[in-house]
Amino acid sequence: MEIIIKNLIKTFGEKVAVDIPELTIHSGELLGLVGNNGAGKSTLFRLILDLIKADTGTVRMFGTGIDINVAETEEWKDWTGAFVDESFLIDYLTPDEYFQFIARLTDTTDEQLQDFLAQYQHFMADELTGQKKLIRTLSAGNKQKVGIMAAMLLRPQVLILDEPFNFLDPSSQNAIKHLLKKYNEETGATILVSSHNLQHTVDISGRIVLLEHGKVIQDIDNKEKQAQTILENYFEIDD
Amino acid sequence: MNKYKLYKLINQNADLKDKRHPMLDKNRFMKFLMIFMWLYYAAILLFLGVVMAMGMKHSYNGVAAFHVFDGGLLYVLMIDFWMRFGLQETPAQNVQPYSLLPIRRSFLMNVYLTRSGFAWGNLFWFFLLIPFGLITIAIPLGWGAFFGWLLGWWMLLVANGFAYLFCRALILKHLAWTLLPAAIHGALLAIMLVPDKNPLDMPCTILMYDFLRWKLLPFIYVGGLIAFLYWANYRLQIGMVYDEVGKKEEKEIKHATQFNFLNRYGKLGEYFKLEIKQRLRNKTVRMSFFVGLGFMILLSTISYFTPAYDGSFMRSFICLYNYIVLGMMTLVTIMCYEGNYIDGLMSRRESILQLLQAKYYFNVLLLIIPPIILLPLMIIGKISVWMNVGYFFFTAGVLYPLLFQMAVYNNNTLPMNQKITSKQGNTAQQIFSMVILFLPIGFEKAATALLGDPWGYVFLALLGIAGIATHQYWLRNVYKRFMTRRYKNMEGFRASRNS
Repeated sequence: MEIIIKNLIKTFGEKVAVDIPELTIHSGELLGLVGNNGAGKSTLFRLILDLIKADTGTVRMFGTGIDINVAETEEWKDWTGAFVDESFLIDYLTPDEYFQFIARLTDTTDEQLQDFLAQYQHFMADELTGQKKLIRTLSAGNKQKVGIMAAMLLRPQVLILDEPFNFLDPSSQNAIKHLLKKYNEETGATILVSSHNLQHTVDISGRIVLLEHGKVIQDIDNKEKQAQTILENYFEIDD
Repeated sequence: MNKYKLYKLINQNADLKDKRHPMLDKNRFMKFLMIFMWLYYAAILLFLGVVMAMGMKHSYNGVAAFHVFDGGLLYVLMIDFWMRFGLQETPAQNVQPYSLLPIRRSFLMNVYLTRSGFAWGNLFWFFLLIPFGLITIAIPLGWGAFFGWLLGWWMLLVANGFAYLFCRALILKHLAWTLLPAAIHGALLAIMLVPDKNPLDMPCTILMYDFLRWKLLPFIYVGGLIAFLYWANYRLQIGMVYDEVGKKEEKEIKHATQFNFLNRYGKLGEYFKLEIKQRLRNKTVRMSFFVGLGFMILLSTISYFTPAYDGSFMRSFICLYNYIVLGMMTLVTIMCYEGNYIDGLMSRRESILQLLQAKYYFNVLLLIIPPIILLPLMIIGKISVWMNVGYFFFTAGVLYPLLFQMAVYNNNTLPMNQKITSKQGNTAQQIFSMVILFLPIGFEKAATALLGDPWGYVFLALLGIAGIATHQYWLRNVYKRFMTRRYKNMEGFRASRNS
């Protein structure tokens, strides 16, 4: 699924949160979004997910026989999975109940759900399923895992994750890196990931967009991991 | 910084907290509405004060007007007590943000207790007391008597405020504590209403008369009562601050009932399960249900055992209240709890429509409860079966559709599981509750006046059946309008989350 952003502007009062004249995220691309705090990464994701209204501009999704403006229809929700923050989680459910809820909404059978969960058991480290803990009582890291798993549950063609490495322990950070790369290779899904962790972003992304004050500062091809030096220079990271 | 400056600063912060509440901060209309409502109620009290004073100006059966009025002291205090639930916060939650700062917790508790106990709200009744007292006391007996009487009333309202804070804190620990004020007030009502002559009338009159004459003892007694209640609140609430700071929810829930029988209803069944679990697993939502249920039982019981509510209006009110209250308590603030996870819901196709449908079916199912509670009143003939039938269908098919309109406009997230919380819903929602509670009675009275009994109720029922039959249509209409306003609503939900 291709995502085309055109003339997208979002301001909060005087502050320009997003100002992108044109940006195309190609089908099957794993795109990393980096930038300092307040660069507009989360706002851009919310605009793509139609959770906030753009001042001007459009976000369109293109696929075989598909050409839709996300603000005009809900069709794209069938193939899009996302986790931005805790407001995506129904915290008075247990993880099992939440997964089941999402599965039933997306016409995933119980068998398919069990297969899916078994596949990612290592990532969940036996802490999420089979428990009687409500999501609100989980640690921030485990909440993050529930959100990511739920976003991937419907095998989305478009996957959007805001800061997926946050709150996770080093093993889980590595696990999610492998998981995202594998998912991208296997399904050809378009994946958008924002992060402050440059190393992880460089490791997994084929392309990296550097955002600052809502504008795309650099659009870096990272197939050969060449973005590392550019980003380190930009963020003035010393060895 | 000395203690006085610190006191001023904390007070200033507390004022800012109210002024900068997200719902008011971004909504000029809401600000206007709040001021308007205060003025409206103040005007009503002023009007009542003048009318009562003029009506009873000279004497009533040889008894001075203020004696008659003071006989109703306990009624006023009881109304004042229950009204505070929607308006007054407990201090413990306010202390929490300062818990890591180098300020003594005891000092903070004293600041907030003083602030809560001696709040301006205690003077609200003065809109009624001042005109009444001016006409019936100041003119015939002089200013000294007037101020003594007024001071007495103020002290009693302050004591009542502290009693409320104490009960409220206990109720927030466990809902069962609601029974404490309910039982005390129930007993007082029984003592006052069951005998031919109210035996508490005279003691109340004497107490207020002694205030009026500046006798020292009542001031000492009530002052002592205030000091005692202040101390009791201090002890209770300082402990609650520790509870709140160190609050940890039980890691595991005891029963994770799955309601598998709802699986056959597909996606709708899933949202129905969500609706049930929302009520079972969140303190605030659960509490509002039980408070509603408690009032249903309380009103029906009073009506059964006493002639207090035998008037035509009150019979209708009790019947309507029973049918609407459980739905109203959650539907007036419909979507406000969902504001906590609105982004997740909005990421699923037509999830809001299915959620609304589940909410409607759930609330219609709740209508099984009122006929059970009202059955004794039907048996003794205080409320007719036809009235029940009328209000049953009218609620499901007319009042619920009206309440569901709030889904389009509500955009303030409400906390679902806070142990210590105060205001549930904003002023607009409270006004709408009042409209839903009283307007149908006028409609019912008009229908029965025009068509007679039982045809007026049959008419109500037919209107309701039409609403039920078309529920898919109007629910989709609500959903479409919600989607049109979605950006504005989501912005509001986000802004008011965790506020």
